[in-house]
Amino acid sequence: MNSEKLIDLCTDALDRTKRSGADGVEVYGEAMRTITVVIEKNDLQVSRAQKETMLGVRAFSGGRVGFASTNDPATIDEACADAVTLAKASPTDENNVLPQCGPNEYVSGIYDPASEGFKVEDAIEQAVKMLDIARSIDRRLILGDGEFSVHIGRRALVNSNGVSWEEPESLFVYFALATARDGEKVSNMDYQFDATRSAAAIDVEPITRRACENALGSLGAEKGVSFNGQVILSPNAAQSLFASLILFQANAKNVLRGMSRWKDMLGSSVASDLISVIDDGRLPNGVGTSSFDREGVAHKRTTLIEGGNLTSFMHNTYTAAALGMENTGHAAGSARSVPGIGPSNFEILPGNKSKDELIAEIDKGVLVTRFSGRADPVSGDFSGVAKGGYLIENGRISRPISGTLIAGNAFDALKSLSGVSSERERVFSLTLPYLRLEGISVTAG
Amino acid sequence: MLQLLQEIAARSSEWVELRYHVRRLKRISVRNGRLEESSTLRLAGVGVRALVDGVFGFSSTTDLSEEGIARAVSEAQGAARTSASAKREKIAPFPRVSLATGEFAVQTDDPLDAHPLTEKLELVMKIDQMVRGESEMIVSSAVSYSELQDEKVIVTSDGAAAHVIDAKPDFRVLAVAQKGGDQAMGMDSAGVSGGYADLFATRSPEEMADNAVRLAVEQLQAEYAAGEVATVVLDPGLVGVLSHEAIGHTVEADLVRGGAITSGKIGTQVASELVTLCDSGPSEFIPHAAGELLVDDEGVRTGRTVIIDHGVLRSYLHSRESAAHFGVEPTGNARAFEYSDEPIIRMRNTYIEPGTSSRDEIIADVKRGYYLQGLGGGGQADSNAEFMFGVREAHEIIDGKIGKMVRGVTISGNAFKVLKSVDAVADDFTWGLGAGHCGKGQLAKVDAGGPHLRCVVTIGGRQQ
Repeated sequence: MNSEKLIDLCTDALDRTKRSGADGVEVYGEAMRTITVVIEKNDLQVSRAQKETMLGVRAFSGGRVGFASTNDPATIDEACADAVTLAKASPTDENNVLPQCGPNEYVSGIYDPASEGFKVEDAIEQAVKMLDIARSIDRRLILGDGEFSVHIGRRALVNSNGVSWEEPESLFVYFALATARDGEKVSNMDYQFDATRSAAAIDVEPITRRACENALGSLGAEKGVSFNGQVILSPNAAQSLFASLILFQANAKNVLRGMSRWKDMLGSSVASDLISVIDDGRLPNGVGTSSFDREGVAHKRTTLIEGGNLTSFMHNTYTAAALGMENTGHAAGSARSVPGIGPSNFEILPGNKSKDELIAEIDKGVLVTRFSGRADPVSGDFSGVAKGGYLIENGRISRPISGTLIAGNAFDALKSLSGVSSERERVFSLTLPYLRLEGISVTAG
Repeated sequence: MLQLLQEIAARSSEWVELRYHVRRLKRISVRNGRLEESSTLRLAGVGVRALVDGVFGFSSTTDLSEEGIARAVSEAQGAARTSASAKREKIAPFPRVSLATGEFAVQTDDPLDAHPLTEKLELVMKIDQMVRGESEMIVSSAVSYSELQDEKVIVTSDGAAAHVIDAKPDFRVLAVAQKGGDQAMGMDSAGVSGGYADLFATRSPEEMADNAVRLAVEQLQAEYAAGEVATVVLDPGLVGVLSHEAIGHTVEADLVRGGAITSGKIGTQVASELVTLCDSGPSEFIPHAAGELLVDDEGVRTGRTVIIDHGVLRSYLHSRESAAHFGVEPTGNARAFEYSDEPIIRMRNTYIEPGTSSRDEIIADVKRGYYLQGLGGGGQADSNAEFMFGVREAHEIIDGKIGKMVRGVTISGNAFKVLKSVDAVADDFTWGLGAGHCGKGQLAKVDAGGPHLRCVVTIGGRQQ
C-alpha cells in the first residue's frame, strides 16, 4: 500500500464498507517506516528496515459494531466485509456511535522533515555511541540490551460523519539496559529510555549514563533492614506503582466496567493535596502529542487530579456516551484494534522540595530506583522487590541494598504521601517527580 | 510461494533466510455484558534476514511480488553491510545442519474454522453472563476468546524449505468480587495449539467460570498472609511459571552471553537431583501444549532440550547463531512472532519432569507451610534468577492438611536456590501457562508446566 495516498485508501475503504451494508463507518490508517538498530551483549546485533501500511475498519449497523484490519492490499475487500458481518452478529448497544465532525486544528512540532533523510547508517552511529559511553564508564558494564529506532510515517482517519484528518509524524526512541558483572557478583538490570520528535534533539548520553550508573550502584549491594516507614520512589519506580494505578482508575472504560475504585469519586479527594495530574495531547514536542485521537477527536489538555481531587476521567466516544460525560479525546490504540483509551502526555506536576531535601528529612528509609513486582490495580495492593534500592540513614544515602521487599497499598500511599520533588524525569511519554511515601512495609530479603 | 522464495534465495551468493507469513487473528472480548471487541486481523508479508560480512540485516515487506521480495533481500543485505564496520564480534558462517523440508501442520480433529465466529461470540457472551449470575458479590466480569491461525513458508539458502500450519486458540475468564470497600479478583484461562475442542479438553468454559467466581469470592473472606520463609507445595501452574520466567530466561543463550547468572555453569549442580527441567517443541506428556513448535523460524526441527538433568545444568536454549558460538547443535528455539520480526531465542514448552511421589504424600509431610496454586497478578524475574510472582490461590498447610485460604501472597527468591531446596517431586503433570503470551521485545505463544513439587521460598505478605 502506498503511504502517499493514505487518506485516499481510507476513503476508498469507507465507501466499500458502506456498500457492504454499514450505516456508519470509520477507517483509520497508519503508514509507518521504521529503522531499528538493536544492541545486545555489548555489541551491535541487527539492523532492521520495515515498512507497513495498516488499515482498521470499524463498521456500524443499527447500534452494532464490528472491526477488521489488514496490512494486505489484496484483502481490503474481505476486511470491509468482515467488519460488517461481525457488526451484524453483535448485540445492539446504543452507545456505539461515531464522533461528529469538528474543526481540524493541527499541532506543530511532531514532524521533523529532516527525519526523512535519516538513514540506517545514522541510526547505527547513535547505537555505537551508546556502546562507547558504556565502555568508557566502567569495564564491568554490559549493555545487555539496547535499541535506537526511528519511526516516520503518517496517520489518517475518516468517518462517515465527515471527519477527515491526516498528519505526518517522526519519532526517535532509544533505550539502554545495563548490567554490571564482577566475578561472581551480578548487578540488577537497569533500564532507561527516552524519545524525541526531532533529529537535532537526539541525545543518547543521559539515559545510557543513568542505566550504567544505576547498574554499578547495585553491584556491591548487601542485605537491607526491615522496618515500616518512609520510602522514596524514583520517577521510574513511581511509574510502575502510581502512574499505572492512576491511569487505570481514571480510564473511563474501567469506570464503566465497575473496576475503577474512583468510579463514584469525581470531585472527591483521591490523593494527597500535593498531587496534581494532567494529560496534554497537544504538549509542544511531546512524545505522545498528535492532533487527533484514534477516533478523530481533537486532542486537548485534561486535568485529571487537582490538589488531590479527582477532576476528570479519560474518555473515548463510547464511554462518554455510556456515562453521559464529555468526550476528552482519549481514544487510543493502533489501526490493528478497536479504539481503546489511553493517555497522551501524562504528567504528575512538580512539588516545591528538591529530591535531596526530601531525603534530608528521613532518619531511616529506602530509595527505590526500580520496582519489580506486582501492583494490583483493583485492590491497590503492591508488593515486590526494590531493584536498585539504597538505604537512607540520618538524612543521606548510606549504601546500596539488595533483594529488599516493599509492600503496601497504593491507594493509601497516594493519600498519605509526604513529598513530591521539584525535579522530574521523562519516562517515555510520562513526566514524573520523585515521591516520598509513608508507612510502607520494608522487609530485608 | 515456496518455489518463488527458493528461486530468490538461490540467486543470493550470501546466506539468506526468507519467511512468508500469513496470519489470521480473531478476537472477541466481553465485559459486564458489553461486547468490547469482535474483530479480525489479517497480516501478510515476508521477513528477510541476510548475513553479510558476519553481520545480520533484516527487512520486511508487504509487497509479495517477485520484485518486492527481491528488493527486501537487497535492503536486508544493505543494512548488514552498513553495520559490518561497526560490529565488534562477527558471526561465523553457520555450520551445516539438517534443516526441515516438507509440511508441518498442527494436529486436531476439530479445526477452528469448523466453528463460525458467531458461535464463539455467543459462548463468550453466555459465560460472561454466567459469571455475573453466580454470586451477588460479583461486581465485574470479563471473558475473552482469541485465535491465531498461521501459515508460514520458511526457506534458507542452505536448504530449509518448510511449510508450516499452526493454530492457537485461547479463552480467559475474570471475575471481580466486592464486599464493602474490599475487592478481589479471580481468574481462569486455557490456551492450546490445536482446535476448538482441544481448548476445552481439560476444563469446560463453565468450569472456568466457576473457578474464577469461587476464587474472587473466597479471597474476600480470607486473611492476608504474613511475610516469612516457608516450606511450600507448588502446583504445576507455578512450577511452570518458575521454570519459564525465573529459570528459562536465564538459559536463553543470548541472555547468557549478556551476562545472565548461568554463564559458565554448564556441567555444574544448579538444582536438587530431583529436578530435570526441559524445554520442548513437541508437546510432552499431554498433547496440544500452547507453545508447540515443530519447526522453528530458522527451519530447524525441534525436539526436547534437557536444560537441567537431575540437578546438573546441561544446555542453554539456542538459535543457529548461538549454537555455532557455543559449538553445539541448534535446539530449535529461534522464533519470530510476525512476518516483520526477526527470529530470536524464545522458549516453547518449558517444564519440570514428573517424579515418583504422590501429590498427597508431598502435602502430608508438611508440618507447617503453604499450598500455592497458579500465577495471579503478574510478576517478574531478572537475569540473575531473582524472581517475584503473585500467587493466584494460597492455602495454609498445617500438620499435613490443607487449611484455610490466605490472600495477597507473593513468592520471591533466587530460582536456583529454590530448585536446590526441592525435596519432593510428584508423579503428576499438567500444562498451565497456555493463555496469553511471553514478551521479549516481540511476543511468543509459550506453555509451561510440570508436576506438583515441594520447596522453600520467601512468602511476601503484609508486614504489620
